[in-house]
Amino acid sequence: MADFVRTYNAVLVFMAINGVLAFSMYAVLIAGQLSLAQAAFASIAAYTSALLTINLGLPFPLVVVVGVSVGAIVALLLGLPVLRLRGVFLAIATIGFGEMVRIVALNLDITGGAIGLRPIPKVVTLWQAYLALALCACFFWRLRPSKLGRGLAALREDEVAARAMGIDVVRYKLFAFTVSGAMAGLSGVLFSHFTRFIAPGQFGFERAVEALLYAVVGGTGHWLGPVLGGGFLTFLPELQRQLGVEAGWLRPFYNGLILLAVVLFVPGGLVGLGRPLGVSRRRRFGAAEKAAPSVEAASPAGPSGNGPLVRLEDVGKSYGGLAALANVGFCVERGEVVGLIGPNGAGKTTLINIVTGLTQASTGVVEVRGTRLRRTPANRVTSLGVARTFQQTKLFAHLSARENVAVGGHRVARDTFLRRLVFVPGARRDEASDLARADRCLAMVGLLDRADEPAERFSYGDQRRLEIARALCGEPALLLLDEPAAGMNHVEAQSLADLIRSIAARGVTILLIEHNVRLVMRTCSRVLVLDFGRLIADGPPGEVARDSEVIRAYLGTSADQPSSVPEAGP
Amino acid sequence: MQQLVNGIFLGSIYALFAMGYTLVFGVLDLLNLAHQAVFMLGAFIGWLLAVEFGWPLWAAVIGAVAAGAILGLLIERIAFAPLRGRPDAHFAGLISSIALAIVMVAVALGIFGPQTLRFPPGSFPSARVSFAGATVSVLQLVILAVAVTMMLGLNWLVASTRLGRAMRAVAENPRAARVLGINVERVTLITFMLSSALGSTAGILFALAFNSIRVEMGLAIELKGLAVIIVGGMGSLPGAMLGGLLLGLAEVFSVARIGSGWRDVVAFGLLFAILLLRPHGLLGRKRVREV
Amino acid sequence: MDGLRWIAILSVGALLLAACGGDGGTSPGAEGSDAAAGATDTPSQAAGDCTLDEPVKVGVVFSQTGPAAVYGSTQLNGAELAAEEQNAEGGVTYELIVEDDASDPAQGIPAFEKLINQDQVSIIMGPTLSNTAFSTDPVAQDAGVPVLGVSNTAEGITEIGDYIWRNSLTEGQVIPQTIEAAVGAFDLQKVATLYGDDDSFTVSGHDTFVAALEEQGVDVATTQTFAKGNTDFAPQLTAARDADPDALVVSALAEEAALILQQAAELGIDVPIIGGNGFNSPAIIEQAGEAAEGVVVGAAWNSASDDPATADFITAYEEAADGAPDQFAAQAYAGMNLIAMAVESACSAEPDAIRDALGGITGVETVLGEFSFTESRDADHPAVVQIVEDGSFAILE
Repeated sequence: MADFVRTYNAVLVFMAINGVLAFSMYAVLIAGQLSLAQAAFASIAAYTSALLTINLGLPFPLVVVVGVSVGAIVALLLGLPVLRLRGVFLAIATIGFGEMVRIVALNLDITGGAIGLRPIPKVVTLWQAYLALALCACFFWRLRPSKLGRGLAALREDEVAARAMGIDVVRYKLFAFTVSGAMAGLSGVLFSHFTRFIAPGQFGFERAVEALLYAVVGGTGHWLGPVLGGGFLTFLPELQRQLGVEAGWLRPFYNGLILLAVVLFVPGGLVGLGRPLGVSRRRRFGAAEKAAPSVEAASPAGPSGNGPLVRLEDVGKSYGGLAALANVGFCVERGEVVGLIGPNGAGKTTLINIVTGLTQASTGVVEVRGTRLRRTPANRVTSLGVARTFQQTKLFAHLSARENVAVGGHRVARDTFLRRLVFVPGARRDEASDLARADRCLAMVGLLDRADEPAERFSYGDQRRLEIARALCGEPALLLLDEPAAGMNHVEAQSLADLIRSIAARGVTILLIEHNVRLVMRTCSRVLVLDFGRLIADGPPGEVARDSEVIRAYLGTSADQPSSVPEAGP
Repeated sequence: MQQLVNGIFLGSIYALFAMGYTLVFGVLDLLNLAHQAVFMLGAFIGWLLAVEFGWPLWAAVIGAVAAGAILGLLIERIAFAPLRGRPDAHFAGLISSIALAIVMVAVALGIFGPQTLRFPPGSFPSARVSFAGATVSVLQLVILAVAVTMMLGLNWLVASTRLGRAMRAVAENPRAARVLGINVERVTLITFMLSSALGSTAGILFALAFNSIRVEMGLAIELKGLAVIIVGGMGSLPGAMLGGLLLGLAEVFSVARIGSGWRDVVAFGLLFAILLLRPHGLLGRKRVREV
Repeated sequence: MDGLRWIAILSVGALLLAACGGDGGTSPGAEGSDAAAGATDTPSQAAGDCTLDEPVKVGVVFSQTGPAAVYGSTQLNGAELAAEEQNAEGGVTYELIVEDDASDPAQGIPAFEKLINQDQVSIIMGPTLSNTAFSTDPVAQDAGVPVLGVSNTAEGITEIGDYIWRNSLTEGQVIPQTIEAAVGAFDLQKVATLYGDDDSFTVSGHDTFVAALEEQGVDVATTQTFAKGNTDFAPQLTAARDADPDALVVSALAEEAALILQQAAELGIDVPIIGGNGFNSPAIIEQAGEAAEGVVVGAAWNSASDDPATADFITAYEEAADGAPDQFAAQAYAGMNLIAMAVESACSAEPDAIRDALGGITGVETVLGEFSFTESRDADHPAVVQIVEDGSFAILE
């Protein structure tokens, strides 16, 4: 073993350094962001730290701290403007940033330009490199099951839904970016203090792509992925050397083939290979369940002040001259179950988006629990105690049902990551109670027995119920259901009606948007009718069903048609 | 004036390369990072046909274009088709195309070696034309003509033919296109072939223009190609043309005005600024996705 | 727990790796050092008829992939040719253990460590690029294994330590002679310079050019730069042409050199072009054709020398490899021969003995001319200033 370590010292160190860089990529990938600025962060930290070591002779631990901070700060500053870009656009903006950093390093005197910077003392030892790697791994190991980790996963799966669950998307993205910068910085410091020499060309586009390869080949589904990816790809040339593959074109050829094989045949990366062998998540969550005190049903968020929960006054919304809503005004009082019906295109979803802060009203006043909404982001509205489901379900497809619901509890869950990181037992208790709350919500909708299945495997109707459970987990005062019965058969709709009534019985105020008029009439204490963006009726179900204007709107004919609203029965 | 000519000339090759890139992205929403390897192989194959097999230049260019189409077919079959339907198809496609590019570059290194290959002196007509203080060789004019013809041809194809309509339908919504009876598989394959044929053409024209063919030639243009499609607007063909010309001119003029050391800062600074101010590029259209 | 399972898998993997590595790593190396130790015990013999039973292991690290592969491939040809010739002579035989640094310092370090720890080589030749050498050579210095650079021209390479040698002249040695000869021949008043600004070789070359021009009292009218991998130099050349210089001074790698010559001719630049080391290859003349006429290049190797050793080298090289040798091949060839001289004069495969013997090399005949190592382990041999005439290099009078 000692011989092995001596012979392969450099390869082993590079495996660790590249693993750290892979973690830096992993940090953004788990939040669903593709950034390729990692090489640039590493470059800036490498130069800063090398200059400090060479010119000021600072001790190495201090240099590491500075390098990591510089990486984090640069990432934060870059993140502020670019994080509103998505997908490939973010990737290319960050590539652009990386190239600018490289060219600036080429043209500055202090970096030595193309000649490079040297001699940097070689201080990094094997155990230091692996300590750094272990710290990064530990960070993500502790992160994943925490509230923060769950939020990042939700963000990766569906940004809009994550925001609707109360997650401050911008802050979460910045967190991921900053962590990424810090770890890239760490890899840069290690790199420069191991190779003794740095030049701008070592931190170019290719290096950024390498970081991506490490992270993706290792797999983004587990915190050990970057260790495997960085280690495997770094060891590959050495392996070929040992196997006697002749230097020259054959080595990159095999590298490419192996990489291709991994991507094509090992979905989920190398870390996915270990999955079928072992323990599933069930046990971990099972343990949590047991530890949790079994409290009674979820209690809605307490009342805050008097007055209506929602008040709309003269609200209008137009898209480029086309009025989706005009002069809409109504109140929803505490404890009501209000139905909102209207033909397709009447503006129902627009209305619900306005109340939840996903869109802003063009005119008028919107108040939720006494707070007036003015460009208030959705996550802030959620924190007022508003939860919703979506017309087209927006579940976090690859997360388990339990995790989906737990994300819904974002508003009421306590932040546990920092305490987890240092193994404070209170964090574990909080997490257990979060999961227990999620399980209670799952039980309410009758899905507890399938809590560990990923949401994408659920049937359409079950997905809708899962969304309701997710919304309930935030213990909302107001629950907005956007066509929950769409696509359900009669039996399912019947049990949905029971569910809505039982939720209402717990004191949750409900605003139900629905096409299934029978369902609305059965469950609601009051019905609003929208037509072409105008509110044409507001009253108890029986009264609204007989309203001539409503009948006309639904049948599109004159009012003297003696028929009642379709499917509307007392 | 000379600089303007230089810029347009350089820009037209960037544009040709970028159009292939953006075609695949626009229609299929995939970023094919093996495109640079096609560019490189196009140049090598053209050289092989012209110098080793003694084909006339025009035939060698056509041969390189055809070879490019075949490479496109291989790329789609090897790197993208097996991923279809996987939830991580986008990421995985990025990586598998990088992997395939590594393989292609290694093969080129194995066959052609690391040396720069050049066409022997006297391979091209050396006549040149002067106007308004600028010198242009006939070869440059021919290259420009080929590039512009191919760009206009592609635009026409996408805008006015049945195939083009099918491609646009797939771009809008593959599922709906399939329902409408469009053979999405075939359209995908053809898109890749067209894209790679363009990339390969850019490669051989580049080789003719600068008389330099080497294994790493794709790397330098890969980043610029990305910059061009972003500046022009992701998925927009006229955008890629415009972006290519802009980048060519920006490079040439920043060398002349600002100094060449900072040239690429200008190019990438421009890229960065455009992304922040107009995330969909100059001619790109905002894609509305359902909420 | 998930984590524990992974730790278990990892450690099993690490053990497996350790097992493989152990097998390959220790046994042959141990034998090698025994043999080397045995050799030192034998009484020393006169240089020239030394015999060693075991072949002397020479590590060779050249770039065979990546951007520097162009140089690495001819270097390898040159080194292999010299080793074959040495082995044919008998007495001491040499085993070249070839590694690829992929033009990347991060790949060069493991290559050096493998050669030193696993193969236990007596000396290492390489690496191709100076940038790589800055990272790799300290590894050999720390391990006490001598390194002979055969293409590193950057300042400061041999300052890394007393095990680091090179037989390649620095630009600082060649360029002043070139400028002096050119000023004498063309009566230069002002020049335009052009160089690649992202490569340490071309940057340091340019810096040296500027210093030499200043010394000779020549003005620099304009300075243009380009980047590695560029293929279009029209903007820079147009700007240079507009400055109306007496000559164009270019510091570029071989890749760009031929293109620059061709494009300069296309733009109608007819002043002399003075090139750095990158221009010093017959391939440039072949590729640039007419456009290469009149190019002035300082070089470490005179391919037009009438010295029979040079002629023999060229013939042998052309037979063994496909194409004419360039300076990189000649320097690698000379480097292998210098190593053989050192090994045979020490009559030992012991790294320290070889290092000491390298220090004793003065005034020996090589294809580079009469060669000595300086006090600071750098190369000392005559440079030549060449001009391209009628499609081949001639000495600039």
